[in-house]
Amino acid sequence: MAYEALDFYDIDSLLTEEERMVRDMVRDWVEERVLPNIEDACRDGVFPDQWRAEIGEMGILGAPLKGYGCPGLSYIAYGLICQELERGDSGVRSFASVQGSLAMYPIWDFGTEEQKEKYLPDMARGELVGCFGLTEPDYGSNPGDMITRAEDKGDYFLLNGAKMWITNGTIADIAVVWAKLEDEIRGFIVEKGDEGFSAPEMKGKHSLKASVTSELVFQDCQIPKDRILPDVKGLRGPFSCLNNARYGISWGAVGAAQSCFNSAREYALSRIQFGHPIASFQLVQNKLSWMLREITKGQLLAYHIGKKKDDESWIPEQISLAKMNNVDMALEIARMSRDIHGANGILDEYPVMRHMANLESVKTYEGTHDIHNLILGRHITGIQSFTREL
Amino acid sequence: MKTSVISESSNGSLHPVTAQLVGAASSLGSSITVVCPGGIGSTEAAQISGVSKVISVEGECFETYDCIAWSETLAPLVEGDLILSSSSAVGRELISSLAAIKGIPVVQDVTRLADGFSVSRSIFSGKAIEEVNISAPCAISLRANSFEASRGGGDAEIASVNVSQDVSVAVKQALAKASERIDVSEADIIISGGRGMGEPSNFSYLNEVADVLGAAVGASRAAVDTWEEIPHSMQVGQTGKTVTPNLYIAVGISGAIQHLAGMRSSKYILAINKDPGAPIFGVADYGIVATWEEALPVLKEHLSEMVSN
Amino acid sequence: MGVAVLLKQVPDTTAKISVSGGRVDESSIAKWSISPYDEYALENAIKMSESGFGDVVAITCGPARASKCLTEAAAVGADRLIHVVAESTLDSIQVQALLSAAVKSAQCEVVMCGKQAADTNSGSTGPGLASILDFSFVGAVTEVSMEGGGFAATRLGPSGLEQIEVGSPCVFTFDKADTELRRPNVRGIMMAKKKPIENLSANDLEVETSNSRVSVESHSSPPEKPPGQKFVGVESIAEVVSKLREEANVI
Repeated sequence: MAYEALDFYDIDSLLTEEERMVRDMVRDWVEERVLPNIEDACRDGVFPDQWRAEIGEMGILGAPLKGYGCPGLSYIAYGLICQELERGDSGVRSFASVQGSLAMYPIWDFGTEEQKEKYLPDMARGELVGCFGLTEPDYGSNPGDMITRAEDKGDYFLLNGAKMWITNGTIADIAVVWAKLEDEIRGFIVEKGDEGFSAPEMKGKHSLKASVTSELVFQDCQIPKDRILPDVKGLRGPFSCLNNARYGISWGAVGAAQSCFNSAREYALSRIQFGHPIASFQLVQNKLSWMLREITKGQLLAYHIGKKKDDESWIPEQISLAKMNNVDMALEIARMSRDIHGANGILDEYPVMRHMANLESVKTYEGTHDIHNLILGRHITGIQSFTREL
Repeated sequence: MKTSVISESSNGSLHPVTAQLVGAASSLGSSITVVCPGGIGSTEAAQISGVSKVISVEGECFETYDCIAWSETLAPLVEGDLILSSSSAVGRELISSLAAIKGIPVVQDVTRLADGFSVSRSIFSGKAIEEVNISAPCAISLRANSFEASRGGGDAEIASVNVSQDVSVAVKQALAKASERIDVSEADIIISGGRGMGEPSNFSYLNEVADVLGAAVGASRAAVDTWEEIPHSMQVGQTGKTVTPNLYIAVGISGAIQHLAGMRSSKYILAINKDPGAPIFGVADYGIVATWEEALPVLKEHLSEMVSN
Repeated sequence: MGVAVLLKQVPDTTAKISVSGGRVDESSIAKWSISPYDEYALENAIKMSESGFGDVVAITCGPARASKCLTEAAAVGADRLIHVVAESTLDSIQVQALLSAAVKSAQCEVVMCGKQAADTNSGSTGPGLASILDFSFVGAVTEVSMEGGGFAATRLGPSGLEQIEVGSPCVFTFDKADTELRRPNVRGIMMAKKKPIENLSANDLEVETSNSRVSVESHSSPPEKPPGQKFVGVESIAEVVSKLREEANVI
């Protein structure tokens, strides 16, 4: 049967023809290339390089960025791309989010002309892979106290420290690394061949298995002076990148939820117990109904924040709301869907438990659920409650 | 009412569908002329009951298949209120071209033909049936095995016509058809094995039946997971391929829900399983309770016979 | 010069079809697509254009919604887009008259399309058009390339797979091939938006489309299959095989 993504309030009618065509292009690619192979990729714990190349060929990386070979699409289109990729797998969407919002974006917004010309066109084509080095082993929700530091040595910067949980790290050609220079957070572009830089892969994950997660290790790593991002200081830099990625994730979560909903619905209609399809039982209908309501609400949130991004009338707290809400509802939908599938739900015959495991990471990265909650709390009250010092 | 029937041939002799075309025209009370491209099968055509005349069209141009060249030679010889052909690949092409030359409408691959003419055909790959009215003069192609064949015992006159026509298509080389097995996702007929096959080497029995039918060979998830020798590409089921063949033959497959999801939309399902309680019998159109060891050789034999008729 | 590619918009082959009031309910069709065999024709045409053959002129004959086919074709490389705006209920004579007039107006000497469309599965258009235009015709090809002043093609003929040669002008109908169909990309989608669609009516082409002798009376869902029949023992196999032929018509 043709994939019919749940669209109860007809968001499709709000899209431009271009947005629809971009969405359909990604949807078709995911159906043809990802879905038949994703379970194997997960079992093997690899992100197939072929996908990187094909995503690059589609021209969807760095979707909302303009110029330098970047697509220059609307934020709605960017959201739709994330939705369709994540319907396939959160790991695939993570590759694109990191490349576009976390590696290309900072160069595009804060880099020099030379840096933009040097890196962005190849990154847009997927030929140069980037990653984003902010999180450290001891500094996740609290990036401001990071200990990776850069020292100005006259002819070069000397980088020391380590980053952890870095998507794409091991396959990346460049890393946009945030480190303290004279106690101020600055962005540096580190290249794969730079001496003193290594990016070992982190193994043993139960989540995002078809995605590369790495450590970035800097041991007296020498970085040429022209690799610093001149125009940004402090957390504003990394946070603006994260806002873009979080926006994409609010759509991505909808895609994962749609996939789980569809699978639950089809399963419930075919599974016969006590002589009837379980879709005829009230408790099952209650669950499906809840899923439909949550997906519809999530779509409306994502669409509206997308319009505000395109209008430039948004604030970061609005993105926190969308990311937090949509990932929460998607994770719950994945669990509920697994439940409807019964024992079959634990097999990789069905996508639901893979989505469920992935969404645990999505709930934690790009700002944990709790952090976004406190961001909203601070917005409501004017009082920050992240730390004990007021 | 007059009907011209374009005869169908295969391997140098008359194809049985020709008698079905005559049968269909006879039931309309029509006088029937059979036109034989290249003269193939003209003698047998004359023996079909209900045929008034056979025109054997002969010429060098029939040595190579060139639809336009052939239809140009046939057009002046094909007359009447109704032109019929089979809906085989060649039948369809010829009748389309003839219809265009004569400026008459054509409807293809019908399964019912009545006075008027009122016809039925399947549309959207069998998801719906369309009833169409088409008035004479017109052209209609008929689906094989949908109409009662006219019996033998006829004795029609055979007129030979020699034509010379330029052929625009030149065959440079006949290519051997690839002997690779068809992919499960593209086949019209699939025969699939489950863990009930006992050992992966037993899939060779499935291959033999597949060869008779020109079918693809698939496997259930259980078989793929149990045996390395059975590759994932053969898997039918949720993460394997979803298939929509005309005929799906499930051998030694219990019919667990995961496998069913992949083949449920097959037009017809034939199940062979030694367990009379296997769930697959709940979805099969035809179920045979028997061991595959006994059933497959017998199935192969009967299928070979049926297919060569 | 150039290749005319005829594209037909059909319900996606995976879309559910529902019948209500004796007619297929078009509004319930979830997805419309370019008929699958036509896609192979388009891919081959674009390849030939890339080798210097000339422009790819994508032509569709259908109602307003059919223009989507042309935009999709533009997104993968079609150069000119022609929409012959007409109802979807035309008969073979009318469709072929419209398409042949459109091909003539585009001055193409090669026409490519799928061997049959996924809605009617008829396959009348290709050969009919060749007769009307007085072009040569080769059906069920998997590949066409330029050769000398004409073309070389691989076709599945009645004698099997053959390598053939044919001159220009010619109509080719395409079967499914091993060829990978190119995907659109963002660049193509954005350029497609800029390509104008030339709308032509039957009047513009001076084709008469009233007075058809063909009319659709009704649609119905296929009859419910009878409940499954279960047999015991190998003795039943002969009967089952005969039912596969007589009842099911699948062998």
